[in-house]
Amino acid sequence: MTTTGLIGAICMLPLRAMIRAAVVLRIHPNVLTAIGVCINVAAAWALALGRFVTAGVIMIVANIFDFIDGKVARERNLESEFGGFWDSVMDRFSDISLFLGLIYLYSALGRTDYVMITALAMMFSVLTSYTRARAESLIEKCKVGFMERPERIVLFMIGAFTNRMAAVLWVILVLSIFTVADRIYYTWRELDRAKRGAGVAA
Amino acid sequence: MTSFGRALWHVVYWTHERATWQYDVMVAAILGFIWLTPPDWLGDPTATGGGLLVWLWNVFRG
Repeated sequence: MTTTGLIGAICMLPLRAMIRAAVVLRIHPNVLTAIGVCINVAAAWALALGRFVTAGVIMIVANIFDFIDGKVARERNLESEFGGFWDSVMDRFSDISLFLGLIYLYSALGRTDYVMITALAMMFSVLTSYTRARAESLIEKCKVGFMERPERIVLFMIGAFTNRMAAVLWVILVLSIFTVADRIYYTWRELDRAKRGAGVAA
Repeated sequence: MTSFGRALWHVVYWTHERATWQYDVMVAAILGFIWLTPPDWLGDPTATGGGLLVWLWNVFRG
C-alpha cells in the first residue's frame, strides 16, 4: 500500500461510523450536501478574517459532509441524477467561496498581487471542473490532470493549518493550468481518434 | 525523448491514479515546495517565520 493510500484508509475509519450514523438517522444525502456548503461558507469567512487555523478546522467538518453524502446516497439507494447535479453545483459554490474569502483577505491587506494569484487560481479551478464536464458530454471519460477537487481541498487545509497559503495558491494555480491543458489535449486527441476511426470504417 | 524529458512530460500530462507511487512522489514534491520554500521568496502576505528550510539551515549551522 502507498503512503497516500494508507492515510486514506486511516481516515476512512471514523468516516464509516459517520456514514452509518447518517444512514441510521435517515438524513437525506442532498441535505448533507447543503449542510456541508453552509459550513464551507463559514470557513471562507474565517479565511477572509485571516483566522487560518479556525478556517482549517471548519473546512475539515464541512468536507466530512461533502465526502459522506455520496456514500450515504449509495447505502440508502437514493442515488439520483439530480443528486449528482446538486453535488457538483454545490462543490463549485464551496470552492469559489473559499477563494473569495482569500481574495477579501488579500484585498484588505492591500496585496493586489495575491488578489490576482487567488483570482487566477479560482478561474483555473473552475475551468478544471468545466473542461471535464464538457469533455464527458463528447467523449466517455476525461480523468486526466493532477489537480482535482480533493487535492485542492487538502491543499487548502495544509495552507490553513501551517500558515503557508501563498505557496498553496501557487501550487493550485500552476497544477490547475496543467490540468486544464491536459483535459483539452486529451479531449482533442480522443475526438481526433474517433474521427479517424469513423473515416477508416467508412 | 530522454528519460528526464519523459518524466517531465508525465508530470505535466498527468494520467496516474491516486494511491500509486507516482502520486506519492508528486505529493512529496508539493509538500516539499510548500514547507521548504521560505515565505519571503513568495512574498507571502500572512506567513510568519522563515519556514522549514531556514529553520533547518539554522539548526545545521548551530
